[in-house]
Amino acid sequence: MKTAQEMKPNSVMLIDGQPWMVQKAEFTKSGRNSAIVKMKLKNLLSGSTTETVFKSEDKVEPVILERVAVTYSYVADSVYVFMDDEFNQYELSEDDIESVLPYIVDGMTDICEAVFFEGKVISVDLPTTIVRQIVYTEGSARGDTSGKVMKPAKLSNGTEVKVADFCEIDDWIEIDTRNGEYKSRAKAPF
Amino acid sequence: MRFTWDIFCTVIDNFGDIGVTWRLARQLAAEHDLDVRLWVDDLGAFVRLCPSADASLAVQEVQGVVVHYWAAPWSPVAAADVVIEAFACELPPAYIAAMQGRERPSLWLNLEYLSAEAWVDDCHGLPSPQGKGLQKYFFFPGFSTRSGGLLREAGLIARRRAFQCDIAAQQAFLHDIGVARASGHRLISLFCYENSALSSLLDALAESVQPSLLLVPEGCVSAGLKSYFGVEHVSLDHRYERGALTVQLIPFLSQQDYDYLLWSCDLNFVRGEDSFIRAQWAERPFIWHIYPQQDKVHIDKLQAFLDRFSVGLDGACSEVLSALSLDWNEGRNMAQSWRRYDAASPVLAGHAADWSARLAEGENLADSLVQFHQNWL
Repeated sequence: MKTAQEMKPNSVMLIDGQPWMVQKAEFTKSGRNSAIVKMKLKNLLSGSTTETVFKSEDKVEPVILERVAVTYSYVADSVYVFMDDEFNQYELSEDDIESVLPYIVDGMTDICEAVFFEGKVISVDLPTTIVRQIVYTEGSARGDTSGKVMKPAKLSNGTEVKVADFCEIDDWIEIDTRNGEYKSRAKAPF
Repeated sequence: MRFTWDIFCTVIDNFGDIGVTWRLARQLAAEHDLDVRLWVDDLGAFVRLCPSADASLAVQEVQGVVVHYWAAPWSPVAAADVVIEAFACELPPAYIAAMQGRERPSLWLNLEYLSAEAWVDDCHGLPSPQGKGLQKYFFFPGFSTRSGGLLREAGLIARRRAFQCDIAAQQAFLHDIGVARASGHRLISLFCYENSALSSLLDALAESVQPSLLLVPEGCVSAGLKSYFGVEHVSLDHRYERGALTVQLIPFLSQQDYDYLLWSCDLNFVRGEDSFIRAQWAERPFIWHIYPQQDKVHIDKLQAFLDRFSVGLDGACSEVLSALSLDWNEGRNMAQSWRRYDAASPVLAGHAADWSARLAEGENLADSLVQFHQNWL
């Protein structure tokens, strides 16, 4: 068993025999040093979603899911296709990969993990750190070099990320996929 | 059909848990024709708020509510139609099994702490699956129309108005608790947690032009008062004076009498949740000492309340109230913030009355709970 606060996005718990995947988890302090976790859950069998609240210390039953290394291949009609090293293809909907969708770009080479429940692929996890290219950002407003002043920047798929003020168009940057935050400038991955 | 409701309360510290649940139980029984049982694990704390009760009785009916001592180990009973666990207390496993074993499982509600923060609206009423077919719902009191509202029993506002218009009734009440209010004195009640800002508040009152009579419930901040006045004991039969300040201890009051105190005073310092809510129905200015939490989370909660409360208040007065509240809650010197607050007090008094009237148009927690049950059915 785990506590509710240990359940992160993409982790899965069993409730009354049904597997529910955590799509969002928001931890909030309530009163007298207690806390709650608000979650958006997706039923992996029915596809239905629900919002719930748990006490942070509530016990929940996690489910260990099978994982296979895959790379992103292509998208067609909102179906995202990933492929393993034996050329097996796995199809996922936008809803299945909602949490990683902002970081899916054509040509990405990240080694991802396809996640399975009872033999069916249900989602994909990205590496904790990924490298993406800025396609648009305003010029440095103040000439700041500290990295503390942030500004918006767009990736090739339209996702907006806050980056250091000194970043420029065509720069490559590292992003933490757990929170979507800019980490640093990076070298091109190829 | 008369529905049965069980309310479970563990007394963690102080009187907030039992204060809220006792009020709620009374209101549900009196205004909604419900059979209400209140399970409390500390009857001593309950009797302080309800002196007519007997702490030695495991079961007793008080003001329409059957009050049970919540003993360990638990003796199995039939589960009620609606079950409220107050402030996330843990229900006995055997009772949870009884809820599950009913033909239709009980409606299980976790009554949460009051907060003015915006996230409350998004969490109020959400389910919390507990497995084995049981579902709990989180019920949040609050200040917005999307929350569960605030406890406010029927007739409260009318009773307060009548009392505040009746000088003789106010004098009689104060006389009963041993207080004689001298002409021209500002009457202030002080109910707070131990607070390192206390001595600076007392200094500020002592140095004020207007004399103040500060009424402090027995047992509250006694260490701070002893230190301030340099005495070994503080007692009910003495008044403690310095400059323009007189401090008088008063007996610990029942909930009804505490309302009278709030309604009688020109300014109320309140704490936690129950007295904080009651102060808002008093139409008198109040300063809130919020329950301190780790990582100063309580300061965000305080600020969220001040932001709501200050709507309609001019910027300068809002800033004055915020500064005083933060000094009080952060244990800082209050000399400057008190002077500024004192100067703004006529405006703040008017705003407190407006705020109270606005709140009275909002949701009532007991009604919201009953409506939630009806919708669930």
